Amino acid sequence: MDEFLTEAWDARDVIVGGLLQTLSISALSILLGTALGTAVGVGLVYGGLPLRLVARAYADVMRGTPVLVLVLAAFYMPSVLGLHLQPFSAGVLALTLFCGAHIGEIVRGALQAIPRGQSEAAKAVGLTFYGVLLHVLLPQALRSLLPPWINTCVEMVKASTLLSVIGVGELLLRTQEIIGRNFLTLQFYLLAGAVYLVVNFAIERAGKALERRVAFR
Amino acid sequence: MRGASKTLSTMAGAFALSLSFIASAQADGKLQEVLSRGRLIVGTGSTNPPWGFQDKSGKLAGFDIDLARIIAKGLFNDPSKVEFVTQSSDARIPNITTGQVDMTCQAMTVTAPRAQQVAFTVPYYREGVGLLLKKGGKYADYAALKAAGSAVTVSVLQNVYAEEMVHQALPDAKVDQFDNVGLMYQALNSGRSDAAATDASSLRWFMKQNPDKYADAGYGWNPQNYSCAVKQGDADWLRFVDTAIEQALTGVDFGDYGTAYETWFGVTPPAPAIGFPR
Repeated sequence: MDEFLTEAWDARDVIVGGLLQTLSISALSILLGTALGTAVGVGLVYGGLPLRLVARAYADVMRGTPVLVLVLAAFYMPSVLGLHLQPFSAGVLALTLFCGAHIGEIVRGALQAIPRGQSEAAKAVGLTFYGVLLHVLLPQALRSLLPPWINTCVEMVKASTLLSVIGVGELLLRTQEIIGRNFLTLQFYLLAGAVYLVVNFAIERAGKALERRVAFR
Repeated sequence: MRGASKTLSTMAGAFALSLSFIASAQADGKLQEVLSRGRLIVGTGSTNPPWGFQDKSGKLAGFDIDLARIIAKGLFNDPSKVEFVTQSSDARIPNITTGQVDMTCQAMTVTAPRAQQVAFTVPYYREGVGLLLKKGGKYADYAALKAAGSAVTVSVLQNVYAEEMVHQALPDAKVDQFDNVGLMYQALNSGRSDAAATDASSLRWFMKQNPDKYADAGYGWNPQNYSCAVKQGDADWLRFVDTAIEQALTGVDFGDYGTAYETWFGVTPPAPAIGFPR
C-alpha cells in the first residue's frame, strides 16, 4: 500500500494530465456531437426525402459500427488520402461522428413525441418553420431528450478510453504507462476506474439538476 | 483539323509528362521530406520499459527513444528534433504503411513475414530470454539451476509458448505462469520460484533499478533481433537510417549508443575493434 501511495503521488501530474485530456476529448465530442445530432434529428423528422435518406444512412452506419472501428478508421483512412490527422483530432472526429448519430436518434424521438397540435397551433399563429422549431418544438423536446442525452455524455467519457489505442495520452493510456513502469497493475487500474466513476457520477448529478430546472412547473 | 487535335493531344501529353517530372523532382523521397520538415516523426511505445516508457516526470524515455535521438542528430545535428508518436505494438506496421510516421523504433522483432510489409533497418539489439535469480539465493547460476533438475521452479509471464520456452533451457524445471510482470517478480522475491525467465533487456533494466538484490544466471537463449522499420519502396531513406544506426553501433556515434546502452541495461557494450571493420 505504501508503495502504491508513493507511486501514485509521484505520478499525480501524469494522472491529472491524463484526466484533463479525457475531459477535453469528452467535452469537445459531446459539444460537436450535440450540434451535429440536433441537425441530424431535425433532418430525420422534417427533412425532404434526400436529406432524410442521408441522415438515416449516417445514423445507421455510425450506430452499427463499434466505436473502436470508428476510431481506427478516423486515424488511418484520412492518411490514405494524404491527409494527416493528429491522433487527438482523429479521435475527436470519430467520437463526434458516433455521438452525433446517437444524439440524432434521441432528438428525432423527442421531436416525434410532441403532439401534432403543437406545431399546427404554432403555424396557425403565423410562425415560420424555424420559429416553430426554435420557440415551440425544441424547448419541449428538451425535457424528454435530457435524460438520454446525459446517458450519452457518460457513454462518451467511457468511449474516450478507446483513444488510447491510437496513442492519445488520455487517462487510460497514462495509467497503462504508469503500470508499465512500476507493475502495480491492479492498484492503478482501480485508481483509474475510481476517477472515471467520479467524473461520470458528477455528470449524472449535474444532469439531474438540469432536468429539475427544465421540468414542468 | 485532325492534325491540329493530334498536335494538341501530343502537347497535352508532353505537358503531363513534364508535370510528372516536376512532381517527382519535388517529391524526391522521405529523406528530403524529413529534412525540409525540420523534425523526424518516430513511432514508439510508451508502456514498455526500458524501450519506450514514461519516466517519473512524465517524459518519454528508453533505449528506443535514445536511438531515435541519435538518428535525429544525424539528420539535423540536433537530437531534440524528434516528434514521437506513441502507438500500441499492433499499430507498428499500419502506422508505417499508412505514412503516419517516418520510421518506427519500438522493440520490434525482425521476422521474415513482417519484412514482407515493412523494410527493416540493420538490427540495433539482440533480445533473448534470461534467468533472473535472487542474489545469494539457493542457486548461483545457470549450471546450478540445470543440475537441480525438477527441484527448480521458474516463474514466467503467461504465454502460449512459455512452458516450452523455459524447457528449452531447463528441461526438467517446473514452470509457474503469471499474468503480469509484477506478480512474476513477486514470486521470485517471496521464494515461490527460484528464477524468473524474462526478456534479457527487462532483466537488465530490473537489475539496474534494484542494485545488489538480483543476479543474472548468465545464460541467454531464444534470440530475436530488434530493428527499426521504415516504409518499403524508398531505398535512400532506408539507406540513410541504416547508415545512422550502423555508425552508432560501430562508428562515430558509438559514444552515444554506448551511453544509452549503459543507461538502460546497466552494462557497457563491447567497443568496436579498430582496424578490420567487422
